[in-house]
Amino acid sequence: MGAAPRNLLAGLLLVATPAGPGSAGELPIVDAHIHYSADAWEMLPPEDAVRLLREAGIRRAFVSSSSDDGTQKLLAAAPDLIVPVLRPYRRRGELSTWMHDPAIVAHLEDRLARFRYAGMGEFHVYGGDADLPVVRRMVELARGHGLFLHAHSDAAAVERLFAQDPDARILWAHSGFDGPGNVRTMLERHPRLWCDLAFRSDHAPGGRLDPEWRALLEDFPDRFMLGTDTFAPERWHSVGRHAAWSRGWLAELAPPLAERIAWRNAEALAGAAGAGR
Amino acid sequence: MTGRALARIAAAVVAVLLSAGAAADAGAADPAETARILRHGPWPMPWRPDPGNRLSGDAAAAALGRALFADPRLSADGSVACATCHRPDLHWTDGRPRSAGLAAGDRNAPSLVDVRRWRWFGWDGASDSLWAASLRPVLDPREMGGSIAALAGLVRGDPVLAGLYRQALGRAPLADDTALAVDAAKALAAFQETLASGRSPFDRFRDGLAAGDADAVSAYPADARRGLALFVGRGNCSVCHLGPAFTSGEFEDVGVGYFLERGRVDPGRADGIARLKASPFNRLGPWGDGGGADAAATRHVASQPRDFGLFKVPSLRNVARTAPYMHHGRLATLEAVVRHYSEVDEERLHPGRARLVRPLRLSEGEAADLVAFLRSLTSDER
Repeated sequence: MGAAPRNLLAGLLLVATPAGPGSAGELPIVDAHIHYSADAWEMLPPEDAVRLLREAGIRRAFVSSSSDDGTQKLLAAAPDLIVPVLRPYRRRGELSTWMHDPAIVAHLEDRLARFRYAGMGEFHVYGGDADLPVVRRMVELARGHGLFLHAHSDAAAVERLFAQDPDARILWAHSGFDGPGNVRTMLERHPRLWCDLAFRSDHAPGGRLDPEWRALLEDFPDRFMLGTDTFAPERWHSVGRHAAWSRGWLAELAPPLAERIAWRNAEALAGAAGAGR
Repeated sequence: MTGRALARIAAAVVAVLLSAGAAADAGAADPAETARILRHGPWPMPWRPDPGNRLSGDAAAAALGRALFADPRLSADGSVACATCHRPDLHWTDGRPRSAGLAAGDRNAPSLVDVRRWRWFGWDGASDSLWAASLRPVLDPREMGGSIAALAGLVRGDPVLAGLYRQALGRAPLADDTALAVDAAKALAAFQETLASGRSPFDRFRDGLAAGDADAVSAYPADARRGLALFVGRGNCSVCHLGPAFTSGEFEDVGVGYFLERGRVDPGRADGIARLKASPFNRLGPWGDGGGADAAATRHVASQPRDFGLFKVPSLRNVARTAPYMHHGRLATLEAVVRHYSEVDEERLHPGRARLVRPLRLSEGEAADLVAFLRSLTSDER
């Protein structure tokens, strides 16, 4: 991506940054884990998807899709709302094979030449596979374009990604589905690691914050963000519920921290991508 | 049974398979697999009456429940009975993809056979007792559209029903509408408790395996045996369809869609928990007879983001009699169900947790074997 598109993204983020509570007085949310893949398009056209996000009080959504055309459709429908993230998947069904397919590199280079993005992902890679040539090239492309990596990975793969690019910014999808102890260890070790809390509820079982997770959120106030994960298209209809559920446990935290987790941390990550490094 | 005995039986099974020219893989009858098979029995299992229903297991109450079950006057316009969607001649289903009461519904009518064994009722688990699950459709405007007052008035005013009530309860129908409607629902449950499946070819094989009865083992069809090996092995099916009832009784995502139409989805368990918690007829409420001691699961269940789009794992006993399949009835045959699991879109399933459902990539023969196994769960009685 050239300088002009990157600056365009930075400008867009600046203009659209929420300044406070939403119109209904509710806490704005940036949903950092949304997919709009091909199987969603018929039953959930872009206008419906955008409406669901706005009704949920989502002020920005990190969207990655299989294929990336889904992200572009949403971005065209709501440029103020959508933060585009590029998956290394051309279509559904490549989740567990992409890292072995050299053609993925050309796919990424093509999309990067034509569109603007804030991040690269969400991709799935585990353990030693993170050192495969396709993954390495993806990391190089992300570095070259100033993009964060949205990694659905175990801690071992995250370590390998950071070994490839110590300056990378990695958004750890689902916080690796790791326990709070291991997440803490990773956050202590890697100051450029962020965590989304998508598709997990152990941090707030029954809607109440778990004490160990609460301590983790308080000790790392700049590192966590929210996400619904619309891995199946029907789950778009849960975005509002998820936002409401999240606001419930966020209300247990001091308002400044709740705001950071709800939207400020994600805005900062996307903004850093838009501004380059 | 000792490990040595199990090993002997396993060896006998291998011999049977080889003699039948079976294509099962070499490890199909190892002791671990045998142990997995044995966990699907014995059948029938012991059953205890529901502590939340003082009429549970009572024959006189079941007689009242039987009469109510077939009575269309429970519905608002007198056109829909419980038996409309749960037909005795269709294994207590209606054979339709999605049921229709007073209005078109969104879900397939599950069979009521063995319903006495479940903890949660309905595809979304919106009820925690069979009696509350029996009252729910009576009151649902789209199903029967009845009311507490109308149900109570029917039992109170109909001489036959009132007589059956007296025989079951030992008193005249109550004056309080809700108390009387709850009694009627408990009688409906007592009737449905009598709907129990019998033994199947699989049970005879399984018990033969347990007892070292080579004749019983060899009588089991080879294709069903190969399908069973898939079921408890590579297919991973028995992780959810576990135990003698072939169900965990809980809720899972198996990659079936749940859009109803543009703009509308079936949230499944996510809404079920909300409705359960809001119901005055749940086990925590004043109408159950368990005093709350039977309500631990209801007390602790809480909706989580992952519950969206989960549906109850059905029992597979007599599954060949309950087509069509899945919560929306969109799979018409067992062959279609097996094809679904063979080709399931794994990106519809969240990869974050240990994924139970993966595309099995079955050959045509393997798919046929799995269907043969499922058919072998059909019990002898009609």
